[in-house]
Amino acid sequence: MKDRIAQLETYIMKHCLWQFHSRVWDRKRQNEGVLTKTTQILCGEPAAHETLEDRCYWVDAVCLADAFKSRCQWLNEMDKTEIKSLMQELKNRIDYLTIDGSLNKELTDVNY
Amino acid sequence: MPLHEFECSTCIPERKKHAVDKGPGEDLTSALPEGYLNTIPGSISERGCAYCGAKHVIGTPMKDVIHLSHGPVGCTYDTWQTKRYISDNDNFQLKYTYASDMKEKHIVFGAEKILKQNMIEAFKAFPKIKRMTLYQTCASALIGDDMNAVAQDVMDEMPDVDIFVCNSPGFKGPSQSGGHHTINIAWIKDKVGTVEPKITSDYVINYVGEYNIQGDEVIMQDYFKRMGIQVLSTFTGNGSYDDLRAMHGAHLNVLECARSAEYICNELRVRYGIPRLDIDGFGFEPLSDSLRKVALFFGIEERALQIIKEETARWKPELDWYKERLQGKKICLWPGGSKLWHWAHVIHKEMGLDVVSVYTKFGHQQDMEKGIARCEEGALAIDDPNELETIEAMLKLQPDIIVTGKRPGEVAKKIRVPYLNVHAYHNGPYKGYEGWVRLARDIYNAIYSPIHRLALLDISKDEIPTDKGFATRRMLSDANLNEEIASSSDLRPYTGKYDCLPDYMNHTYPDELRKKPAGDN
Ligand code: SF4
Repeated sequence: MKDRIAQLETYIMKHCLWQFHSRVWDRKRQNEGVLTKTTQILCGEPAAHETLEDRCYWVDAVCLADAFKSRCQWLNEMDKTEIKSLMQELKNRIDYLTIDGSLNKELTDVNY
Repeated sequence: MPLHEFECSTCIPERKKHAVDKGPGEDLTSALPEGYLNTIPGSISERGCAYCGAKHVIGTPMKDVIHLSHGPVGCTYDTWQTKRYISDNDNFQLKYTYASDMKEKHIVFGAEKILKQNMIEAFKAFPKIKRMTLYQTCASALIGDDMNAVAQDVMDEMPDVDIFVCNSPGFKGPSQSGGHHTINIAWIKDKVGTVEPKITSDYVINYVGEYNIQGDEVIMQDYFKRMGIQVLSTFTGNGSYDDLRAMHGAHLNVLECARSAEYICNELRVRYGIPRLDIDGFGFEPLSDSLRKVALFFGIEERALQIIKEETARWKPELDWYKERLQGKKICLWPGGSKLWHWAHVIHKEMGLDVVSVYTKFGHQQDMEKGIARCEEGALAIDDPNELETIEAMLKLQPDIIVTGKRPGEVAKKIRVPYLNVHAYHNGPYKGYEGWVRLARDIYNAIYSPIHRLALLDISKDEIPTDKGFATRRMLSDANLNEEIASSSDLRPYTGKYDCLPDYMNHTYPDELRKKPAGDN
């Protein structure tokens, strides 16, 4: 599991930008928005994309899910429950790297 | 934390927290330098001031505007007026620079009168230009001139003009980044929403944080237009003042340089509900992902896929020609801000270069987070380095090339490290598929320039070989290349034109692409 999460984490860190908004509240919303939809797409469940805001998360999620599926063959063999728990762990890890364990002192600045 | 202490900076202990080595197993929770702090006294920074960040980075790329600095001529002239953000109106904003010409007597008696006089004179000298931006400098801020009142006075006298006032004097923040912030917020507060947008497509974006350095924006506009997408405004390269007043009419903000322009995107989201999509316009793979995302947003993915297919087929063999020859060369990625993370991963992956160091002059910790996350292990990350530190880093890391701005670039040349200007560019544009190949070509030309072989010889002590004839770049780059690759007919060096922009500007785009197909919501 750890190994697999590390692979997904590396992809996000090298290719994505959505996880690096400037404040804690911002990052929480981003991580939640993109990774929730990515999980839904990977599980074949509907991911809302009717509003402009949802659509914006959804496009990042569609591309992320595609990249995960094409680079990590093992993902295609997992069932929904396994994918959900894997993605929850991944979200915890991304939250840790970008929010809870982050050394960025500006994250808690009330102004931006 | 794997802090990196420069020998030359042991006398400035605070500097130690501004550099880290990304060692094996390090991640963002263990390796991140300080950032965006006041420069430490004794450390000669290469940063610009907050006025410079507001005017010369963000304000001045607006093309149809008189950009006037309220201060001494030195502020406007000696800073970055030479940045190459070109425009399609004959570079009006680059050709002329204006200052109210404050002198000592104005410090004593006030400078509002001369400001007003110079504003009117400038409008009269360029009667077709009806827009002006006014920038505060240290001098005018310290004496407390009321620039907004003067601007209102001029607008009352000349009802057909519009003036934007930016109060971002040099001392307002640790670096130019303070100015980016101020002008972003001032623009959304004072100007966005004051002009009705002219909508010509069902797919409308603002392209934000793009400054059209040597035509970057022209290439990217072409891709958007080929998909039928209207770029309502570009913030701010090649952008028009009135288009930027209408930013509230877009469906999506496509953000390139988050360092300089995320603030206005965040505000547009809060005030007008327009979401922010961060993209990378550099590198084949990141650019392809970015085009696909923008297209997906509007439900026109197949149009992006078509562009990606055509452009990749056209340019990939040329990129790979350089990649084969740049494999394993060491690069110091020392641009000012956002390119450190735009390029950190992709320059390694697509050009084969090893990034041995990343630095930022004015970036925040957020920029370093992105850069450190993307670069490979072993890189040295430096925040706001001084000149001695950059020399020490170059001597230690022995890079084959550094990519940076003009000031550190000249220092590199003196210690015989090839340098490429990635602020104003050498032979850009560097964005887009063709642009990325042009960057590879420029890097190749710099690394293999025969002059560097000669420059390494010191005629006062080295033996000068007299039995060797001339060398060409190709002779140097292909010397150790496997024969199959060296003579491959699948690969070729850059075949584009010296000035590639006119071809992009002459493209025509079918009108029907701008309308959603019937039945589509
Ligand atoms: S620091 Fe002040 S005086 Fe110097 S260029 Fe900037 S605005 Fe002008």
